[in-house]
Amino acid sequence: MDSALESTEMLNRFLAEVERRAFQMAKFATGHRDEALDLVQEAMLRFVRHYSVRPRQEWNVLFYRILRSRITDWYRRTFVRRKILAWLGRSGEEDPEDPLQSLPDTVNPNPSDQVLRHEERGVLEKAIRALPLRQQQAFLLRAWEGMDLKQTAFAMKCSEGSVKTHYFRAVHTLRGLLEGHRS
Amino acid sequence: MNTKDPEKLFLEKVQHLLDQGAKNLGSRTERRLEEARLDALSAVEGKRSGFFLPRRWVLAGSFAMATLVAAALFFLLSPSTETLPAGDLDELEIITSRERLDIYQNLDFYRWLGSKENRMRPNGKGL
Repeated sequence: MDSALESTEMLNRFLAEVERRAFQMAKFATGHRDEALDLVQEAMLRFVRHYSVRPRQEWNVLFYRILRSRITDWYRRTFVRRKILAWLGRSGEEDPEDPLQSLPDTVNPNPSDQVLRHEERGVLEKAIRALPLRQQQAFLLRAWEGMDLKQTAFAMKCSEGSVKTHYFRAVHTLRGLLEGHRS
Repeated sequence: MNTKDPEKLFLEKVQHLLDQGAKNLGSRTERRLEEARLDALSAVEGKRSGFFLPRRWVLAGSFAMATLVAAALFFLLSPSTETLPAGDLDELEIITSRERLDIYQNLDFYRWLGSKENRMRPNGKGL
């Protein structure tokens, strides 16, 4: 009984650790807050149902592998839906951006610094969103989540060589965009 | 002087900006994420304790009882595979022979016929 409670607590801590980054990744991929929340929820459910019995050190990679798979499924579904809507002569409806996202960060005492950072973050997020899906995933898993090549390849279900290529291209594109913005 | 690799610096900056973005998701999003996490955890708790719920036991018990009844009916109603008791060697021959059964069904008639024929022979040895 105690061990069950302990493992639930461990799971809770793990999911609390990854949920924000997972949400951001899903949001970069989908561009929609609610879709991203749904994808994270699906990934969490699938993870706890099927993989929570696996060793703790495997959780991170397994969770992101599930999330990546959910995002890819979402892409396929959206692609088909858009094709059908385009064929019917209608465009897909766009969800409005969460208004809370545009609220200023009240924690930072320096307003000009905060505006600059906010602006820079906006440029970065926009640039990440504009990357092709595989580049986006390789970049976020390697640069943000801190996974090594092998782990990223496992999470993305591709070879290490592909990860290297996607990651290199993503870094090159983002650096170009951010440096262009600064100058 | 900062001698860090420019790519490393760039990645550190990106990490910092992304972390900042993940920190400020907004209360609505944070609440939804927490709900999603708690839903997932309740699913795993349900999975662990699910078998011990009374409803599950009733179902399992009913299934076991139905299986037992079906097995008992099958053994009671199926034809017996026990070997037939061969009380007499003659009966065994009758059972195992491939001859026509009407001979045995009219056995009295053939006995009578045999005795009549014996009587008709002068030396009692038959025809």
